[in-house]
Amino acid sequence: MIVKFKLNGKEIVKDVPVYKRALDFLRDDLGILSVKEGCGEGECGACTILVDGKNVHSCLMLAVELDGKEVITVEGLEDKIIQNAYVEAGAIQCGFCTPGFIISTKALLEQNKNPSSEEIKEALEGNLCRCTGYLKIEDAVKLAAKMYNKGSDER
Amino acid sequence: MIKNYFRPKTIDELSELKYKTNGYLFSGGTDLFVKLRAGIIDTDTVIDTKYLDTKGIEIKDKKLFIPINATYNELRYFIKENKLNNILEDIVKTIGSPMIRNRGTPVGNISNASPAGDFVLASYLFNAQILIEPSSKKIPIKDFIKSPGQINLEQNEFVYGIELELLTDYKFYFEKVGRRNAMIISIASIGILIKEEDNKINDIRIAFGSVAPTILRDENLEKTLIGKTIDEELFKYLANEYQKLSSPITDVRATKEYRKSLVHNLVIKAYNNLFEKVVR
Repeated sequence: MIVKFKLNGKEIVKDVPVYKRALDFLRDDLGILSVKEGCGEGECGACTILVDGKNVHSCLMLAVELDGKEVITVEGLEDKIIQNAYVEAGAIQCGFCTPGFIISTKALLEQNKNPSSEEIKEALEGNLCRCTGYLKIEDAVKLAAKMYNKGSDER
Repeated sequence: MIKNYFRPKTIDELSELKYKTNGYLFSGGTDLFVKLRAGIIDTDTVIDTKYLDTKGIEIKDKKLFIPINATYNELRYFIKENKLNNILEDIVKTIGSPMIRNRGTPVGNISNASPAGDFVLASYLFNAQILIEPSSKKIPIKDFIKSPGQINLEQNEFVYGIELELLTDYKFYFEKVGRRNAMIISIASIGILIKEEDNKINDIRIAFGSVAPTILRDENLEKTLIGKTIDEELFKYLANEYQKLSSPITDVRATKEYRKSLVHNLVIKAYNNLFEKVVR
């Protein structure tokens, strides 16, 4: 089936088998390697992508469902503020979960410029990290929020 | 493996496809794709319901209507926007994770008919009517769900929406017991709605998830409670009654004995939280 969608700002038109998951389509056919397969069943959040601004699991989605949508992965974020905040706060160790966390962070900060600890925990509850213990990830989100707000003050 | 993928746009088209192909309907796929991968379901045909032209979530005749394809997050947003500040929001926000809530749907949850389904519990508490198409019939949730995973539908029928009562002036308590905040399939859950008048019960609804083949709610018992004084003694009686009514199983999440204790303790805990008491 032919699908037509926007991936990180670029128009994609491609023929894809109907059984293929969005995750495999993005990684294997389109080379988007930030999207990881952890559990493959919606528990870990490593495969999280933004579809029309909402964070969703690409492992629980068919590639054909991307038709007509706007998809953003870490490769397509317009700035590196969240990535830099994760590095700065020491919120990365092995890095496998990081793209998923960054996408969930992006989805949160688009809706909420100054999230509380409680709101951060809820927004990231679908992402698992087995290295950092989550505290530094929370710091990273707060730091990213601060950097975004500082940027908009200057403008 | 999936070989056929359909996108019906009308009720009749969807109904005919379901009848002819025996394919699986999905909207968010948060349940179907897990089961396909695990080999619990094997089908070569899936029917994507998201192209169906439907109205949005709405309040009509003092009822909340949730159509097919409306996600948990859309429902949560609607509850907030319309200040329907009730137990429903408490329940919805505990379902899955943000990613699941962006894709998963209440209609999907009740159609799966799991005794652990959080929206199934909500549907029992709010006396849900299930709207079925193309027959346009409405059936109460308790008649719609027959047994775990079994629902009352003809081959050509599908669930078009859920209608919930809008309740105001009720105190409520909801809790689900599990091992992690997100992604919990509950070991046991409780939802209570109470309307009080001069410390007496005017109306009460109590439902439990994961402690019986379907959601446990006993309307006859509830009726006998109207007019009773709200106190420790009453809730201790209820804790014992519901413990007797429950018939849990042992599974990977907990033993039946543990679940039995939970039923008792959750009633007491609900009382403590609802009326700021410290009964053990």
